[in-house]
Amino acid sequence: MADGNGLPAGAASGAGGIIEGGQTLNCGVATATVGNPAGVSVGAASGSNSSASNSSLSSSSGGGNGSGGGGGGSAANQGYHQLSVTIEEASLRNNGFLKPNPYVELLIDSKSKRKTDQVKNSYLPKWNEEFTVLITPHSTLHFKVLDHSSFRKDAMLGERIINLAHILQHYNGRCEFLELTIDLFVTSKSDNRQTKSGELVAILNGLKLDMSKLQVQQNGNAVQAVNPALTDPAAAGRSCMIYGGVRARMRLRSSNSNSNPETLANRSLGANGVDTRAAILGPPVWEQQQQQPPPQQQQQPLRMVNGSGVGAAAVPQTAPYPQQPPAPVVAPQPRPMTQVYANGVMPENPPPPAGVYMPAGPGVPMDQQQAGIGLPVSQSTDPQLQPQPADDEPLPAGWEIRLDQYGRRYYVDHNTRSTYWEKPTPLPPGWEIRKDGRGRVYYVDHNTRKTTWQRPNSERLMHFQHWQGQRAHVVSQGNQRYLYSQQQQPTAVTAQVTQDDEDALGVLPDGWEKKVQSDNRVYFVNHKNRTTQWEDPRTQGQEVSLINEGPLPPGWEIRYTAAGERFFVDHNTRRTTFEDPRPGAPKGAKGVYGVPRAYERSFRWKLSQFRYLCQSNALPSHIKITVTRQTLFEDSYHQIMRLPAYELRRRLYIIFRGEEGLDYGGVSREWFFLLSHEVLNPMYCLFEYANKNNYSLQINPASYVNPDHLQYFKFIGRFIAMALYHGRFIYSGFTMPFYKRMLNKKLTIKDIETIDPEFYNSLIWVKDNNIDECGLELWFSVDFEVLGQIIHHELKENGEKERVNEENKEEYITLMTEWRMTRGIEQQTKTFLEGFNEVVPLEWLKYFDERELELILCGMQDVDVEDWQRNTIYRHYNRNSKQVVWFWQFVRETDNEKRARLLQFVTGTCRVPVGGFAELMGSNGPQRFCIEKVGKETWLPRSHTCFNRLDLPPYKSYDQLVEKLTFAIEETEGFCQE
Amino acid sequence: MTAPRRLRKELCDLQDNTLKSFRDIKADDENLLRWTGLIVPDNPPYNKGAFRIEINFPAEYPFKPPKINFKTRIYHPNIDEKGQVCLPIISTENWKPATRTEQVVQALIALINDPEPEHPLRAELAEEFLKDRKKFVKNAEDYTKKHSEKRPAD
Repeated sequence: MADGNGLPAGAASGAGGIIEGGQTLNCGVATATVGNPAGVSVGAASGSNSSASNSSLSSSSGGGNGSGGGGGGSAANQGYHQLSVTIEEASLRNNGFLKPNPYVELLIDSKSKRKTDQVKNSYLPKWNEEFTVLITPHSTLHFKVLDHSSFRKDAMLGERIINLAHILQHYNGRCEFLELTIDLFVTSKSDNRQTKSGELVAILNGLKLDMSKLQVQQNGNAVQAVNPALTDPAAAGRSCMIYGGVRARMRLRSSNSNSNPETLANRSLGANGVDTRAAILGPPVWEQQQQQPPPQQQQQPLRMVNGSGVGAAAVPQTAPYPQQPPAPVVAPQPRPMTQVYANGVMPENPPPPAGVYMPAGPGVPMDQQQAGIGLPVSQSTDPQLQPQPADDEPLPAGWEIRLDQYGRRYYVDHNTRSTYWEKPTPLPPGWEIRKDGRGRVYYVDHNTRKTTWQRPNSERLMHFQHWQGQRAHVVSQGNQRYLYSQQQQPTAVTAQVTQDDEDALGVLPDGWEKKVQSDNRVYFVNHKNRTTQWEDPRTQGQEVSLINEGPLPPGWEIRYTAAGERFFVDHNTRRTTFEDPRPGAPKGAKGVYGVPRAYERSFRWKLSQFRYLCQSNALPSHIKITVTRQTLFEDSYHQIMRLPAYELRRRLYIIFRGEEGLDYGGVSREWFFLLSHEVLNPMYCLFEYANKNNYSLQINPASYVNPDHLQYFKFIGRFIAMALYHGRFIYSGFTMPFYKRMLNKKLTIKDIETIDPEFYNSLIWVKDNNIDECGLELWFSVDFEVLGQIIHHELKENGEKERVNEENKEEYITLMTEWRMTRGIEQQTKTFLEGFNEVVPLEWLKYFDERELELILCGMQDVDVEDWQRNTIYRHYNRNSKQVVWFWQFVRETDNEKRARLLQFVTGTCRVPVGGFAELMGSNGPQRFCIEKVGKETWLPRSHTCFNRLDLPPYKSYDQLVEKLTFAIEETEGFCQE
Repeated sequence: MTAPRRLRKELCDLQDNTLKSFRDIKADDENLLRWTGLIVPDNPPYNKGAFRIEINFPAEYPFKPPKINFKTRIYHPNIDEKGQVCLPIISTENWKPATRTEQVVQALIALINDPEPEHPLRAELAEEFLKDRKKFVKNAEDYTKKHSEKRPAD
């Protein structure tokens, strides 16, 4: 495609490169002008029609190619031009007793179909619909008038193919308000005879080509057909027969300069016009970066610059739409574009597929994309959003409706060069549109002094307000959270994990090294984040649930072999043994609630293990992070990313500018809470709610709308690690699958349920039913949609060709699960974990399960049991049922950690909504806490986190209920909730 | 390409075995995920007209259900002014990947022919339907006459 636009010779180095920011078009224009001023043929001297100036520019670059010795004389080298075609009306022959419902289809070179609306019951339909199409000088325009039928295939009322070249020759490359009256023909099916069936009137407008260039080519191709009208300026305004059945005349409603066919005059004017532009755009420093594909240029609408002068006004408007999707909150500085490029900012930026005006739709090779049918990229948070049904309200100035390649309606805002699925609504009060130094549009909310890349719409603002509305609660909540053992010093850390045979464990993770102390004790060094520990990172956390090791019997000692293996010396008997002499793992020993003490104490113990590692790897001194409240995100981002990651383990000293106060912990607690509230804000598109009505967050697959998103994920990874390391809480929690990913645990089909119940149900259906007979048509390949793009994925090699059946469906389900849980977020997750691991080794987390991880990251709130009970509903129980009474008795009698974990067991999170239990959400909307009678007394309780439901079997006694419930919530691993 | 393959098959099947009450089934030229078709109800007050619907399939079809939208306005307790319809067979709880579009359409036709005022989208119409059936029928007939499409000849 890029080749289609003849590039100036001087710009060849950049040709075929990735299409970068929109500004490159400018450089294309400028270069073409400078490189080959003689090639400039016509210009919109009058400035009355921007598209004319555009096409003149693109034709000039085509000319540049010719003179630059490109040698390609084919039509393709001419590049594409924009032509406006207005289908005005038709008169159709009256045959038959039913009036037709005619509409017109227009095909350019048998492609890019455009359709008018249908006019009902008429032989004299009037459409007056304007289409902007991309053409080459050799394009054919195929007009088809069809009769819309609700019951049959639409019938042909008449058609005609027109070669544009003929018209261009007649009018010397100019189509401005050129009225064509076209005879329509139908071909009889019986004898292939063509009969005239009516006439169609269409207006061509907005095209000016340098015919001299065209002529050269035509000469080369020996298709020259000089028409007398070509050199006859008087031809304009007079009707003339182009060829059989096609009459044309220039309508004289345009300005004089427009209808002036004087080639020479135009040429000089045009050159002037372009020179002006070149002067404004600056020197051709961008020559090296010329990467502009032609269709971009033509996507500019005709109506854009109506009435404006060519000079200054033309600068922003001839600038093509930027490809660069936005980054959050870049402080925009008006700088000349030239500087931006000269500084080399442009090429460094990754070329993400999003942004506005994608030249190529997803899955469609670039070269197939021609006529500006690039898929729009939705700015919406909801990529599923279907186009809205048409209504008749006019669009704001500078807006246009288009259809994407799937026929979906989208809206183009030519003012800001962006596309939307939703019909535009005016900006809310207090908002303003601005442009940054790279020409990208952003929105300023003066109400909150925030900027965003997203055009605010009502849904977005609602989310945002919701998010911001919680802000007041943020700090108070932060101060209310606690984790009991935080203040406790870890008890004597005696836990040493038995060292297994090195070979059996495989190689150490990247960045780790095994070292031996002088007393032969083995320890491990993590070079990535400069930490050391006794535990083997490969087995870390794996044996935690065994026992909490007590003191050795008197006379015993622990020693290590040369291989680092632990053994025990009994000085009483002067014997050694590998067997631990202490009372064995008390799996059977029951705690207060009748569960093994190991379970009861495990969280406390695990936490002390983790804290010990943190303390033993602390660094001296402190680091200062100075932030302004209004720019908390950027300030923190820059300072955290500037420091070497390990430094972030120094004591933190946070300063809010302009606020006195020493950070003895309170300030940094506030900083963690506020900053987490900020970076996780779904408005930034880095994270999203797991599903519509869930307040757990997960990585947003569409985060790439922000070109720097990976940098931000790395930052957030570091930040989350800091929170864990420094024992601070964050505002909002992640989904359970996200925590599992942090723990490097395998995600199962069950995990899908929490984030996409619909998908989960379908997958389970496939699992539970015989699928051979029901025509599912499943293959080892899948599609999904991000921001309107369909992304195709093969679950395995040649999956496209392998059908799913009863035999292989287990494999299919496994692959689908893996794909569903990682699709579109692999890079982001990887970078997040990298950032995390730079500060805290991920291996340190392995003591915990995902629930415990949430607890230490989010802390616990005091659970208001009254509120909880008040907002609980029952199924097959009532509030006075024995078991229900016992349940609440248990909740009241137990401690806060257990309450939090019970809540987590049932609802999937230990956090309570800001508004209390009345606002508890399930996956399908508000869903109160529910207790349902299910099963037999021998069963363990189960939970349905999507529905906040606890299946509580009808236990026979309070003790039994307590035992089963405690067991279920403590030992969630093997029994799991369902 | 899972969805297109399944959809192509379903489309062919539907077009081959024409349903009396669902005609003129077409997929978008460029987007197999969007179909239109004409509902031709049998029962009064809708049996004097035909109603165009749009079926939008998600990229993840058949793992996610299609969505149905009325393009022709209809006076019906279960279909709102925007053309949205609440059909249990394609709800999150009930959707099965083996559910075929034909079944969905059958369910829709049944709903059109026999409104379910117990689960209305337009409460006022449901009330009218239950309390003043004559008035409802008259209104619906007038509305059908005014807004609906022509019924296919055969």
